[in-house]
Amino acid sequence: MATIAVSREPDTGRSLPWGRWGVRAGAMTYLAFMLIIPLAVIFQDGLSGGLTGVWQTISERVAWHALVLTLWTSGLMALINALMGLLTAYVLVRYSFPGQALLNAIVDLPFAIPTLVAGVTLVVLYGPQRALGAWFDQTLGLRIIFAPPGIVLALLFVTFPFVVRTVQPVLQSLDREQEEAAATMGAGAWLTFRRVVLPALAVPLISGTLLSFARAIGEFGAIVVVAGNIPLRTQTAAVYVFGEIESQNRRGASAMSVVMLAIAFSLVLLADLLQRRARKGAA
Amino acid sequence: MSIVLEQLTKRFAGHPVVNHVSLEVADGEFFVLLGPSGSGKSTILRMIAGLAGIDQGRILLHGRDVTDLPPQRRGVGFVFQHYALFHHMSVADNIAFGLRIRRVPAAERRRKCDELLELVGLAGLGVRMPTQLSGGQQQRVALARALAYQPAVLLLDEPFGALDAKIRTDLRRTLRRIQRELGMTTIFVTHDQEEAFELADRLGVMNVGRLLELGPPAELYEHPQTEFVATFLGTANLLVGQATQDGVRVGPLHFPLRTEARQISATPRVQVLFRPEDVVLAPTEDALVGPPLGQGEVEHSTFAGSFERIRLRLPALAQVRLIAPAVPFGSDALLVEASRSPDQARHFPLRPGDRAWVGVRRIHALAHPGLSFLLVTDGSATAQAALAVGGQIARLSHARTTILSHSRPTDELAQLLQTAREQIGSGLPSLETRSAAGPPTVAVLQETERQPYDLVVLDTHPPYGMDLAEELLQTGEHHLLLVPRAQPTFARVLICVAAGEPGKDDVLFAGRLARHLGAEATLLSVLPAGGALAMARLRTERFLDAGVRTLGLLGVPAEALVRTGAVLDEIQAEMTAGGYDMLVLGAPLHGSDGRGVLAGVVGQVISAMTDRPVLIVRSHYAAGRARWVGPNGRVSLVEEVL
Repeated sequence: MATIAVSREPDTGRSLPWGRWGVRAGAMTYLAFMLIIPLAVIFQDGLSGGLTGVWQTISERVAWHALVLTLWTSGLMALINALMGLLTAYVLVRYSFPGQALLNAIVDLPFAIPTLVAGVTLVVLYGPQRALGAWFDQTLGLRIIFAPPGIVLALLFVTFPFVVRTVQPVLQSLDREQEEAAATMGAGAWLTFRRVVLPALAVPLISGTLLSFARAIGEFGAIVVVAGNIPLRTQTAAVYVFGEIESQNRRGASAMSVVMLAIAFSLVLLADLLQRRARKGAA
Repeated sequence: MSIVLEQLTKRFAGHPVVNHVSLEVADGEFFVLLGPSGSGKSTILRMIAGLAGIDQGRILLHGRDVTDLPPQRRGVGFVFQHYALFHHMSVADNIAFGLRIRRVPAAERRRKCDELLELVGLAGLGVRMPTQLSGGQQQRVALARALAYQPAVLLLDEPFGALDAKIRTDLRRTLRRIQRELGMTTIFVTHDQEEAFELADRLGVMNVGRLLELGPPAELYEHPQTEFVATFLGTANLLVGQATQDGVRVGPLHFPLRTEARQISATPRVQVLFRPEDVVLAPTEDALVGPPLGQGEVEHSTFAGSFERIRLRLPALAQVRLIAPAVPFGSDALLVEASRSPDQARHFPLRPGDRAWVGVRRIHALAHPGLSFLLVTDGSATAQAALAVGGQIARLSHARTTILSHSRPTDELAQLLQTAREQIGSGLPSLETRSAAGPPTVAVLQETERQPYDLVVLDTHPPYGMDLAEELLQTGEHHLLLVPRAQPTFARVLICVAAGEPGKDDVLFAGRLARHLGAEATLLSVLPAGGALAMARLRTERFLDAGVRTLGLLGVPAEALVRTGAVLDEIQAEMTAGGYDMLVLGAPLHGSDGRGVLAGVVGQVISAMTDRPVLIVRSHYAAGRARWVGPNGRVSLVEEVL
């Protein structure tokens, strides 16, 4: 009997012949149901009046103000977060002090707290009836609750972990020898940080900031509590959409949603692209 | 003097990683610090650069005391093993970094950069990024970068360790050429002896934090003063012989010393060194030039390019102990390493199994250090008894002795030491007395740090105890003798060993001591009760037989015993039954945290042994080694945040 050459498939699929396909199909189906289909529907619905329809909706005074408010508060928050997140990450990695492990764990807390609770916390702390809130109001003429500063604070709370957590692992794995080399060549601490450490952290810093920006655009719970829902004053895009839905204006809600989605989507893509470029560069 | 180090000391977790190192490097000199991994040489370099803290000592660069200055203000150039180039900057920007900090104008920077690229052989590669360069090229950039701002001193930390052999030789030549051209004072750290020889004007050999010897490579190679340096720098044939009026006696042979003899101390024993290239091989005794060591058989021969390396086994010589090459446990042969040119190999070809007459052209004699003891006392009766026992053993072993007394007012101490001196002073090659204030643990540990000892003798009663014994076992290489009470005789010694490499060291040291004491020895191995594998038993028996043979060669009558059961019980039973005068145990191996603890069997045995001295022998496998693993799991000695 002649021997027949049998081509052997890799062992991975042997025991579960349907395994490979099953796994892929399962993941794709889940992704489709949970993300792709709803997104597609929203886009289709929001663009049902065409691009002009979208423009008409969002250029209306209240909607436009909501969009602009969202963008500038999120933008300001992102800048502050970039700075403070970097600082926090640096302190957590480079210094050692009692309670460090606890502090490290607390950084993740905003992920776990309901955003409404975050809003309530801020109201309790900075509300006009409270000592701190009253002091801000009377001495500095700055209203925090039911005003834009409150929105920025709420966003800072909710997106706190984003920058810290993207910067931290990169900072942790940095090779100290480069900094030592800079020191022997005469570079002081600040110069070394600026010219040696920061460039290495540029990518995680930027992508972390972009992510926190994207997250902030969509924030609802904390803002609704802290800022109330005063159109043309403290109404953000997300709150506006909520309002439109409540008043049966599905068309308007979808249009604004499409714009927010477009912005968030491009930000996430950009952040991902940056990280991919950085990984390739390092390889 | 460009660089002066005075008594540099650095401790990690209480143990000295760098132990009182002093040296001077002259202007324009290429100095190499050579030593095995963990010897502290990289630490010293980092201390000079300011990247590691100093616990004690001073550093002077060109007469300036830089001990307290941060690295930025020391004016050193540092080259790292893994290049440490700035990845996001081009080659030219990397090199110009130091110049930018010093606010050198752009045109001047460019000019200097081009000059340096030319110097290191990378002309035209200024625009490349570091990741586009090979390892060797990256290291050249690192070198150019360190030289750019004309530092006073250039420091290199195993810079070629991560590179291929061929690239390494190229870079060595480049470095040497550049260093000579610039006249730059340089300290180079390496564990590669060949590299050290090629580069060094002067060489410093380090081991376990101590600087052992200093000198030009040829001098250290041909005339080392210590056993470690002799065996570390190339292959060594090292034997122990006797010093005579005008030469050295090795067994039945006598070698007259031709060169002006270094002042060898009063001890009659010398270590005799001859290198493989000093060995002559001939087919007959007459054809041999120089005194014959004997006729040997070729064990193996290796082709090594420009020469042939041969190892021969000769019959043992009476009263000659072989130190290197290491003899297999239990064997009584004399091993000799020889090397021959291809010409000689052709003239007299040798294969494994052939016989040849072995002669030696010339030898170098080192003073044999002998044993050194540390006896500790605080004046109490039990401590004095321990002192007497230690003194007796020291006398019998002809050991250099130091008596350390502590925790007593000064005049009492003086009296104490005087009495001790009278009691045991005679018959010792040297007796030193020291006194220290403060608690016993600190005093004893500091003394062992100050100077390495072979044996520390302690009383087992308070204020000494298991804690001090345990601490002493963490660092250094000294063995420990715990003495519970006075002991008049040493006729029989029980050595408890487990089969294995550490056990061999136990047998060797115990045997040496037993020979000095004129004692008989019994080797005891205790196997676990019930179901001891036949393989384990066989291995143990074979080990014990080899041990008995080794002891016989050392001149100690010995026998072997194998018991099964609980270790503590069996040892106690044998001690009482056999009427032994001393018990010898191996120190426990270090656990994963790097500490050897006495909590296990060894500790129990020590506690149970209240009427006989216990000798705890350290194997170099269990040698205390400071681990420098930092908080994030990486070796790091940068303590301050930059």
